[in-house]
Amino acid sequence: MAEVLYWILTFVLILTILCILGYQLILLVDLEFDYINPYDSTSRINQVVLPEFIIHGIFCFINLTGGHWFIFLISLPCLYYNVRLYIKREHLADVTEIYNKLNWEKKRRLFKVAYLVVVFVISIVSLVWTLTEEVH
Amino acid sequence: MGTENPGRPTFPSRPASSPFGAAQPVTPFSSTGPVAGSEPPPYRPTPPAPPQAATPFSSAGPAAARPGAPGFRPAPPGRFSDPSIPPPPRASNAPPPGGPYQQFPAAPFPPTTQQQQRAPMMGQASQAPPFPASLPAQPQMPFVPMGSPPSQSAAPAHLGPNAPPPTFQPTFPGYPSKQAGAEMQAPPMHSNFPANQGNYGPAPPAAASPFLSHQGGYVPSPPMAPPVGMQQPGSVPPMGSVQGLAEDFNALTMQTRPGTMDPLFDPKELPRPLEGDVESKNLADMYPMNCSPRYVRLTTSAVPSSQSLASRWHLPLGAVVCPLAEPPGGEEVPIVNFAPASVVRCRRCRTYVNPYMTFTEAGRKFRCNVCTLLNDVPSEYYAQLDATGKRVDINQRPELTKGTVEFVAPAEYMVRPPMPPVYFFLIDVSISAVRSGMIEVVANTIKSCLDELPGFPRTQIGFATFDSTIHFYNMKSSLTQPQMLVVSDLDDIFIPLPDDLLVNLSESRSVVETFLDSLSTMFQDNVNLESAFGPALKSAFMVMSQLGGKLLIFQNSLPSLGVGRLKLRGDDSRVYGTDKEHGLRLPEDPFYKQMAAEFSKYQISTNVYAFSDKYTDIASLGTLAKYTAGQVYYYPAFQSAIHGEKLRHELRRDLTRETAWEAVMRIRCAKGVRFTTYHGNFMLRSTDLLALPAVDCDKAFAMQLSLEETLLTTQTMYFQVALLYTASCGERRIRVHTMAVPVVTELADIYRLADTGAIVSLLSRLAIEKTLSQKLEDARTAVQLRIVKGLREYRNLYAVQHRLANRMIYPESLKFLMLYGLALCRSTALRGGYGDVPLDERCAAGHIIMTVTIKRLLKLLYPSLIRLDEYLLKASVPADDLKSVERRLPLTGESLDSRGLYIYDDGFRCIIWFGRVISPDIAKNLLGADFAAELSKTTLGEQDNEMSRRLMRVLEKLRNTDRAYYQLSHLVRQGEQPKEGFLLLANLVEDQMGGNSGYAEWMLQISRQVQQS
Repeated sequence: MAEVLYWILTFVLILTILCILGYQLILLVDLEFDYINPYDSTSRINQVVLPEFIIHGIFCFINLTGGHWFIFLISLPCLYYNVRLYIKREHLADVTEIYNKLNWEKKRRLFKVAYLVVVFVISIVSLVWTLTEEVH
Repeated sequence: MGTENPGRPTFPSRPASSPFGAAQPVTPFSSTGPVAGSEPPPYRPTPPAPPQAATPFSSAGPAAARPGAPGFRPAPPGRFSDPSIPPPPRASNAPPPGGPYQQFPAAPFPPTTQQQQRAPMMGQASQAPPFPASLPAQPQMPFVPMGSPPSQSAAPAHLGPNAPPPTFQPTFPGYPSKQAGAEMQAPPMHSNFPANQGNYGPAPPAAASPFLSHQGGYVPSPPMAPPVGMQQPGSVPPMGSVQGLAEDFNALTMQTRPGTMDPLFDPKELPRPLEGDVESKNLADMYPMNCSPRYVRLTTSAVPSSQSLASRWHLPLGAVVCPLAEPPGGEEVPIVNFAPASVVRCRRCRTYVNPYMTFTEAGRKFRCNVCTLLNDVPSEYYAQLDATGKRVDINQRPELTKGTVEFVAPAEYMVRPPMPPVYFFLIDVSISAVRSGMIEVVANTIKSCLDELPGFPRTQIGFATFDSTIHFYNMKSSLTQPQMLVVSDLDDIFIPLPDDLLVNLSESRSVVETFLDSLSTMFQDNVNLESAFGPALKSAFMVMSQLGGKLLIFQNSLPSLGVGRLKLRGDDSRVYGTDKEHGLRLPEDPFYKQMAAEFSKYQISTNVYAFSDKYTDIASLGTLAKYTAGQVYYYPAFQSAIHGEKLRHELRRDLTRETAWEAVMRIRCAKGVRFTTYHGNFMLRSTDLLALPAVDCDKAFAMQLSLEETLLTTQTMYFQVALLYTASCGERRIRVHTMAVPVVTELADIYRLADTGAIVSLLSRLAIEKTLSQKLEDARTAVQLRIVKGLREYRNLYAVQHRLANRMIYPESLKFLMLYGLALCRSTALRGGYGDVPLDERCAAGHIIMTVTIKRLLKLLYPSLIRLDEYLLKASVPADDLKSVERRLPLTGESLDSRGLYIYDDGFRCIIWFGRVISPDIAKNLLGADFAAELSKTTLGEQDNEMSRRLMRVLEKLRNTDRAYYQLSHLVRQGEQPKEGFLLLANLVEDQMGGNSGYAEWMLQISRQVQQS
């Protein structure tokens, strides 16, 4: 039962992060095409940056305590990156420089999305793996 | 306050208090148009390529080269195809009017090829039968096979193989021709053909003519269309064999010393910009209806036609815009009022009506020059066309003849009623401010300026002072004396009497004057050391946020209380050279960036005046100015007795100059090109909209453009700068600058049309930005690398066809680039490392470079050095005749004669240098009785004698040339160390000093690196 709960939680967390990233990307693209002004865009992005980081932290923690070492290890670099950004106080989007950094911010988030999708796929594979093992 | 604050109301929900910030559709300036958001933003329309692009003579307009077509500037029709004009005798600088291609019926080139392949044509042309008999029968074959022969000077000189290669002197009529290896100048060229120089003169404008003559009918045909290259054969003697080498680069310096081991550049022959900044006249000749280069200057007055070509131009590609530059005396920008109709604009790309738009269909339609869309002419704007296709009312319509006009903007361009000019002063009154005498100078200056503040009678004014508490002043007109209100709770700022702190100046005039009179005495016994700058800033914001306006901050000590307090960041020598170095030049506390963003949103522009003798963290304070289109004035160790005059003048200028309020600026260009990055003091409100809460004539903005399409099919590119602003009188206006530039296919043309001033301006802004993320060393290397790459590419153009070993070649248009590059690397902002310049001064210099106009930047980089003693001593020269003191000397120690008196003027200060053995007369007359005393304690005042008056006259003249800054004079005596060192010697950029290379050495370095490829 715990195992099932764990998997459900994992998927929910990953999908939440993906949603948050998608939201940020949409805001950035809107900004690029001038559908939104930079003040709104950055303040909305900044609202969700910390939640995203925290959720990612929770995700890593669950994997660590749940004994899913492999998934924990592959999500560790991203956690490290987040923590480093936070420590350097660079995690928030800067309204004054947002246009100069637009491409970089977008690239960063796209990369994260790709990364999480990989993590997600690996989770599914390992879920299927465990399920088949249980069946046998 | 922070932008990330989740509870903050979002933008659209805000009332009209943020004029442009509101959701984009209602922003009148955004291209969605005056009518709120009825169509998607068509900034860069994506229509199919203009039809006439491929076929130059298509239906886009009446046949192009025919004079009298609609929209055409009356080209000299008779001369255009008149073969009877003999080409050779044109020795003057006047544009040769001879007929171009029409003279060569046998020329096998169809018009389309003519546009691009000039060089082959020349070879053919010289054989064309109708040419005058004086033509040498030599085909210019060496040019033909070259991949990219330069088209312009196509020098037809054929020298013998042993003759030294000739140096073709500057092609621009206005250029001095003294530099560039005079001895290298092939003597025969000069002696035999004095006419040559004259003929070369107008070459540049002519060369671009092919592009012009094929405009789809909406471009004025150039007045000096005929290419000069055609006629030159007429003036060239049949000398030399066919294999003679002609050189196409306009200037070259080759000084290899045979016999010595190392190649050397002779310092005497290096080019020096002793004439100051010379605005290129190229474009004005080609497109007389362009706006003046005062307003817009492109780094090269040509747009490369393809991405691959653009990538070979390694120097920055972009523009420097000074939208409100002061026109020279008497000239005024015409103001056009379309009321009751709206401003005439293109329906699709929102380009404003300009001289390059063509009217067709009997005046009922006009074709947009930018996107080629056929628009209906509004009925109020309709006028018939005359026989030549011009509107009959063209002479009453300045917008159809002038590149720069102002439109009165109707109500669609306003989000709120135009704001009145607002000045709010935030003055530090802590003990150091009192001691320096700053408060007194500021109060007196403001008082003296009250009559001249723009916008009477709507002007509003307000004051707050701060030390460890914040003091507000109620200046309601009903009071006789201002009322002081003290707020000491710094954590929870509130505004007492929010309505009476900002008052109408004309109503409360007497209260304001009383306040200013008492301000300096009010705090004279203040012993408060602290500075609650952050909270004071916040409260000023709260007072001003209703209206916006200009916030002037006078700051004398490091902010020490409340939010935004700053630490004495160790300006640690160990940090230099490490990866953390740039952090020193960045704001320490994000508070300042957040405040700046808020200021910009509420149309507040911040000017920072900093006075401290200790570290004040200009890097942090300057951020406020950086994003609000403000300015940083830094007076290190301010003492009113010494620096008072400077502050007085600069503050006066700041308060009284014509200012544009709540402005936004956008630069539009035709499809295929896009402005990508912007550099200067402003905040971007959308990808290409610059928010400028207050802007004036002393600010320039730089931008870089890039090609979006691999190949441009048009032959002319149009740029239009539009500045929407509220004038001080309360009228909403749009200032529009329109500029047309040719699209070129040859790299050589890009080089030929390059503008050193604009390139240097962009390069230096890029370098300053680089110092914010990297080491100083890296920024300097980047400048050098950029120049080297540019020259290397230029060299490659000619390397095949000429012997270039041990020679440095560069285009005439860029002859000063190397020197300015050196000067930039040695400027206060970029020079050396830790010990060379105090951190605050470095940051302040960086802020100056980011705002100043091209002219002032070049003056700052290569200041003038003038010898004065002769003028002062010679009684025969009339005192009014200041011509004799206009001769600038090279900035090298060798220019200084120890018997002389020199003045060094970089536009920001004057340094008067007394030679060691200067005649005591001069010193005595100028300095009075204490001439032998220590000069640092003496100030220069007018003495009662002719000599001193003359010196004052010179100083006054120097100061009057550009009033944006006041040049305070510093006196220094030869050998007076260390003062002489840092005031003057370090600024002699041509001399080697410390780790910095001198001019000759720098040229050698560059030349080596160029040849390394």
